[in-house]
Amino acid sequence: MDRREKEPRKITVLLVDDHPMVQGGLMACLEYYDDIDVVGLCSDGEDALAKVKSLTPKVILMDVSMPRMNGIDATEIITEQFPKSNVLIFSMHDSSEFVHSAIQAGACGYVLKDTSSEEVYEAIKAVAKGNNYFSSTIAKMLIETPLKREHDKLTTREQVILSYVAQGFSSKEIAKKLDISFRTVDAHRRNIKTKLNIESLADLVRYAINHGLIKQESSD
Amino acid sequence: MTSFIIYYLVTSQYRELSDMNVQTLESFLIAQKEQELKNYTSIALSSVEHMYKLAKQTGQPNQPNQPNKTHQAAVADIFENMLYNADDGYFFIYDNKGVAIVHPKEPNRVGESWWELEGENGDKIIQILIENAHAGGGFYRYKWYKPSEKFKADKLGYSVYSEEWEWMLGTGVYLDDVYAQLDNLHQEIDNHINYTKQIILIVALSSIFFIFLFGIAMNLNHKKKAEEKISELGQRVIDVQEEENRHISRELHDGIIQTLISIKYSLEATALFLLKNKQDKPAPLIQAEESLGFVIQEVRRISHHMHPQILDELGLSSAIESLAIDFSKQSDVQINVTKPILRKLLPDFINTTLYRVVQESLTNIKKHAKANHVLIDIAIQDSWLTLTIKDDGLGFDINAISQKDNHGIGLRNLAERVEHHSGKFNIISSEQGTEITVNIPISSFTKHFHHTTKKSELK
Repeated sequence: MDRREKEPRKITVLLVDDHPMVQGGLMACLEYYDDIDVVGLCSDGEDALAKVKSLTPKVILMDVSMPRMNGIDATEIITEQFPKSNVLIFSMHDSSEFVHSAIQAGACGYVLKDTSSEEVYEAIKAVAKGNNYFSSTIAKMLIETPLKREHDKLTTREQVILSYVAQGFSSKEIAKKLDISFRTVDAHRRNIKTKLNIESLADLVRYAINHGLIKQESSD
Repeated sequence: MTSFIIYYLVTSQYRELSDMNVQTLESFLIAQKEQELKNYTSIALSSVEHMYKLAKQTGQPNQPNQPNKTHQAAVADIFENMLYNADDGYFFIYDNKGVAIVHPKEPNRVGESWWELEGENGDKIIQILIENAHAGGGFYRYKWYKPSEKFKADKLGYSVYSEEWEWMLGTGVYLDDVYAQLDNLHQEIDNHINYTKQIILIVALSSIFFIFLFGIAMNLNHKKKAEEKISELGQRVIDVQEEENRHISRELHDGIIQTLISIKYSLEATALFLLKNKQDKPAPLIQAEESLGFVIQEVRRISHHMHPQILDELGLSSAIESLAIDFSKQSDVQINVTKPILRKLLPDFINTTLYRVVQESLTNIKKHAKANHVLIDIAIQDSWLTLTIKDDGLGFDINAISQKDNHGIGLRNLAERVEHHSGKFNIISSEQGTEITVNIPISSFTKHFHHTTKKSELK
């Protein structure tokens, strides 16, 4: 607390990367920027969820390919549960699909790992202010293949919630199971209905069955 | 081969048995004839007994035992007319000197001596008959004219001696009837043998045929099983290969590239350090950073080529979308992808297989099809996941590619691979274009979703 009062303008950053050497290299660079404070390091999405809760970082520098829970899925849950933390994806993947998925999951920015540390710094600053930031190659790609709303996919989180809905759980029960608020579940349900253009519960259940989200034999 | 040996053995055995039967039957028939002759003779003799008694009573006193000529003539007359078996059964009488006394069928012989008459083999026929008669009655086979046929035939003669008249009385039966009967029997047995032969042959051939069929069926079954095993093995090799590629790709991406990235940032940190100390970046450092950037790109390219990470991270839809984007960048072909709203439903092996199908199809289209439009459609409905890749290119002969290995092998292997994962693979090709369809039953990935869902709930 003392530290934060002394340097109130510092941006708190959580590094999420499964490779300690990358973390080390990036840390070495970021140390030269006075307004950056790396408050934590973690090595996968699940670890990140726990750390975000306790450290409440302003910016989360999130890798994508990680064991246990990948960065996209983690981003989805973080933006759902900790809306004050902004996620900046920091990845080797430069395919538009990754970028689209990251944006859908709620990431504010996307920088490639082979961009310079200076650019990473700029990105962190932008995202901390609540702006979006994309590496130049990523930005170029987004212009070439813009996000197609009509082809929106259900996110992993939405698939899980749809599966529970189809199995007959109420929003309250789902909220308890996933440790999120009742209203968040309802928001997800609305999003699912909008995305699928489905109104009735019966149609949702049918959709879930048809798409293999629940087993047809309900014994298990 | 065996059947013919069996056939030969059985028929020869059968023949032997039948020959034995015929012989038994022949001796039986002969014995019957002999008995008949004996009977006829005794009937004949008893029929003239009264004449002997009469002769004795009216005989001359000086020769009480000698029957007189009148009686002899009367008896001869009786025998002359005593016929049986149509015309062939008759009695003949010779005296001790071989002079014929009665011979109803050859009256010219009567009164002359036939003592020296020889048969074909040199036997003195009349002498033997008289000898047999003296010995108490006996049988003798010889050749004699058969009255009804007018030629010489085998005759079984029986002769007895009559003390009263001092005659040899004989009769006989012609054996050609017996032979005809035996021939008939032989014929019948032969027919029977032939019939049996045919049955044996049919049975043998049909059993061989069935054994042959059974063998072929077994063989085919074995072959089919062997082929299934080979195919199974082939699929496992591919699985292992894909897994290995994935592993190496991941090692490159998550290991080496990450290390290179960390080196890159260390170099940058060095530059920042120098900057802080008001020093310029030395040329070797700039050089190192550039080379490093190049190496990172290279390793990424290799890693991606071996296995696209996007497949594991974001699932099939995204991976195919990204393939399509790369494809349209490299060629003038317009490509549209429709895909489901869901992601991460499929287990890795289906992901990889479907990804490879799209990859291979796009490669074929680029190389050969000269298409303007390509449509890729992924849809889930009616418990099937359906992947369709459709182009408006030149099309190709599906049969030709299954023989031509250079570019057909890929699709054929993929078809096998799809079927290995309980899916269906279908190609329709014409001059209007080609359509490749892959169907995967939902049941093969429903469990997977639940498995991954449970995993991602762990917090």
